[in-house]
Amino acid sequence: MGIPSWDEFAEIALKRLTASGAEYGDIRIQQSTTESIQGEDRRIASIRNIEDCGFGVRVLYHGAWGFAASSILSLEEVPRVADLAVEIAKGSASIAVEKVRLAEEPVHRDCVLTPCQIDPFSVSLEKKTDLLLTTMEALHRQAGIVRSSASLWARRDRKLFMSTEGARVEFDLLAGQGDCTATALHNGRFASRSFNTPHLRRGYELIEEADFLREAPRVANQAVEKIHAPIVDAGVYDLILDPEHLSLTMHESCGHPSELDRALGYEANYAGTSFLTTDKQGTFRFGSPHVTFVADNTEPETLAATGYDDDGVACQQWDIVRDGIFVGYCTNREVASKIGETRSRGSNRADGWNSVPIVRIANIGLVPGSATLDQLIGDVKRGICIEGHGSYSIDQRRYNFQFGGDAFWLIEHGRRTHMLRDVIYHGITPEFWNSCDGVADRLFRRRYGFITCGKGQPGQSGWMTHAAAPARFRQVAVIRGESSG
Amino acid sequence: MSVLAAKPCPKMISREEFRFLADLVLTRSSGDQTMVTLHDQHGGTTRFANNQVVQNVNTRRGTLTVTVAVGRRCGTAATTDFTAGSVQDTLMRAERIARVSPDDPEYLPPPEPQPFAARETARPETMTAGPTRRLEYANEAIGQCRMENLIAAGIVSSSVASIGIAANNGLFGYETRTDARFSLTVQAGDATGWNAAAHRSIDHLKIQERTLVAIQKAKCGREPRELPPGPYPVLLEPAAVAGLWAWVLWSLDAKSYEKGTSPLAGKLRERMLDKRLTLTNAPGHPDLLGIGFTSEGLPSEPSTWIDHGVLTQLAYDRFTAQAHGIKAIPTLEAPVLSIDGAACGTVMDLVKQVNRAILVTNFWYIRSVNPSDLTLTGMTRDGTFLVEKGEIVAGIKNLRFHDSPLRIFRQIDAWTMPMETVIAEAGKMLAPAIALPGLHFSSATRF
Repeated sequence: MGIPSWDEFAEIALKRLTASGAEYGDIRIQQSTTESIQGEDRRIASIRNIEDCGFGVRVLYHGAWGFAASSILSLEEVPRVADLAVEIAKGSASIAVEKVRLAEEPVHRDCVLTPCQIDPFSVSLEKKTDLLLTTMEALHRQAGIVRSSASLWARRDRKLFMSTEGARVEFDLLAGQGDCTATALHNGRFASRSFNTPHLRRGYELIEEADFLREAPRVANQAVEKIHAPIVDAGVYDLILDPEHLSLTMHESCGHPSELDRALGYEANYAGTSFLTTDKQGTFRFGSPHVTFVADNTEPETLAATGYDDDGVACQQWDIVRDGIFVGYCTNREVASKIGETRSRGSNRADGWNSVPIVRIANIGLVPGSATLDQLIGDVKRGICIEGHGSYSIDQRRYNFQFGGDAFWLIEHGRRTHMLRDVIYHGITPEFWNSCDGVADRLFRRRYGFITCGKGQPGQSGWMTHAAAPARFRQVAVIRGESSG
Repeated sequence: MSVLAAKPCPKMISREEFRFLADLVLTRSSGDQTMVTLHDQHGGTTRFANNQVVQNVNTRRGTLTVTVAVGRRCGTAATTDFTAGSVQDTLMRAERIARVSPDDPEYLPPPEPQPFAARETARPETMTAGPTRRLEYANEAIGQCRMENLIAAGIVSSSVASIGIAANNGLFGYETRTDARFSLTVQAGDATGWNAAAHRSIDHLKIQERTLVAIQKAKCGREPRELPPGPYPVLLEPAAVAGLWAWVLWSLDAKSYEKGTSPLAGKLRERMLDKRLTLTNAPGHPDLLGIGFTSEGLPSEPSTWIDHGVLTQLAYDRFTAQAHGIKAIPTLEAPVLSIDGAACGTVMDLVKQVNRAILVTNFWYIRSVNPSDLTLTGMTRDGTFLVEKGEIVAGIKNLRFHDSPLRIFRQIDAWTMPMETVIAEAGKMLAPAIALPGLHFSSATRF
């Protein structure tokens, strides 16, 4: 007898779950291949090719969850793990107070494939390492650059999801990203400037289109300009935030509070809860009328657009904030019914076969407005343009935040003048989004992805994409990013 | 409560099995140098919220990693499949990468074989603890909170891991490590209280005692006052101290130091902090998570990093160490922060010595603001109180700090003996509670 297929392993597990009397069960069998190439200071510091294969069995028994997983895919291990998941669920049920009820979902049988022009795993390592080494050389050609880094990352996930309800979805998903950073040193201070492609579900064409060699001289030049730039004067400024910068601001201040499991207390011991409590849905003014956030897990190439989530729910598009009013959450089949919703939003994802799926931020994007970038800047007397990601921190209910950035330019009388350094702004989430008085139009819209969004215990890394056009915020408190005294 | 009837987990990869797997790779490798590492872990977590279990998981995962060097060209491949064919394929993938990689000027062959200290890294009571034990502990914490009409959220976890390293120069290391954890957040209306533990032994988690501490904090924090941001004297509990010190530890990288891109640049052998502060590594301490050897195949040994406020040691990668003639590379996986002089017995003894200060249980979401001077920011969380005339007089709404540990630990006012503490983002250490004359808070939040 040969090695059983994934379908046969899955059937073995599901039969045992059904026989146990469990009301629901599913299995995910997944093989992930990750290639990461890290360049540092003009050398290739590491090339790693990681194969990670295993399966996870989830079972709902008398309204309580159990989950067991193993990297040993064998005829002995699959039934053992399935039985263990049932036993664990029985334990959970023994002290359950409120039983889990899953929101209904049609049974899906489908195949999901990431289309790509160039399979990143088919591109030679020589070509990739040449690109990184040449990029780092280009960074170091700028006087004042003391350190550099450049990296490429690609991942393929082959996955089979099957449930006791009859769902069967097969996935073959790709994702990739590349970046480079230059660090300048001056008078004992140092500062970095980066360029990165977004993390997207695309092939190697993502890297080729990015043109690292065109970007490297600009990045190095701006790193040096940044370290020599005057430090910002603390005060109140209008801010023009670029799409990459906004992706992080949106992620932290809108994405996380819109996770319904947080609002219901599931993450109270770690990631935190949410100021967007369920009583606020439909009435709370989150932002100005310029602010509309749409969750779209159907947009091609984005990280959360996987066709179906790990509940087997089809990916969807819905509003989180409409014309400034908070209207919707990210949900899964478990929590959707707790707020009276009849269907999950399909935002339940695990970061691998060994993790249990949890509610994750969707691909939340800021809907473009009608202004041009020049119009946004032109109406600012004293402000700061911020590009890219820097320092970031937010309280566990997502009210009080503080952000830096990768590059800052002073705006005076409607014109972007010179760079600044060590700019930090802070605020309270709804006050900040209510200060938004303009969003640039669709031509300026860009997408940025996250693959290290930490949540859950044991910790998991969530993947999602946030799109935005540049936006303007009035009268935001800015402080210096240095310690006094 | 359920008694597990499912078959036990397949046994972990033993020393002999790891040697067999390693030999399978090392004897077939065409590389000049080959290294094999093993991480085979079995464990689980019972997670609870709103006074019931919301997640209950058990996972077995084994990973074998192969690094091959051809000259100075290097490649690494890993697999979770330990069958002979897959192990062979993993070796071939590493070989393929190595053959097309560019020369790495910093490549060094594996460390020479050496004996590793035999440490008590595995405790049988943790190895045998499974879902039933974890559920009992979770239920104990939930039960105490229910009795007080409070809401509990937290985790109980336990795991065992087989760790191995082998190379074709004869380097070989193998040890079993256990890890047990408990953390709890108690919600009392708008206030929260927290406590946490990590230990090699699940018997040392002190569930009842820690639950009572978290309950007390939550109850004490009800109806918090609002304080304006600004500089305040602070009394930092060990978890808050550890949160800030984690960033000092991460700044010890020698390569960054040598290239000038470290906040510590130029400070080696200089007094940079209060002269009573000393930071050591104590891998043999029974309450810390010391190990026998590192993932690079280096021994873990006791060492001193900051000696009475003077920076005496940096964290070397092997290349930088060789370039600077450093023979024995120190490790810092079991940190102890200690302070000379008369120490208070408990945090509450320390409170009695303070005229006016903010008592901080823990910080949350600490991030770098400025890597040049190690300015950090983060929020207070799960128990922030106003202390006046030696007493906790009220809970206060959480504040955001914006300051550098390199500034605030230049002068300390009072302290306790080092205590066990563990925080989510920085692991476990022994750290005292410390009273500081000033910490700058830049803004406040709504709760």
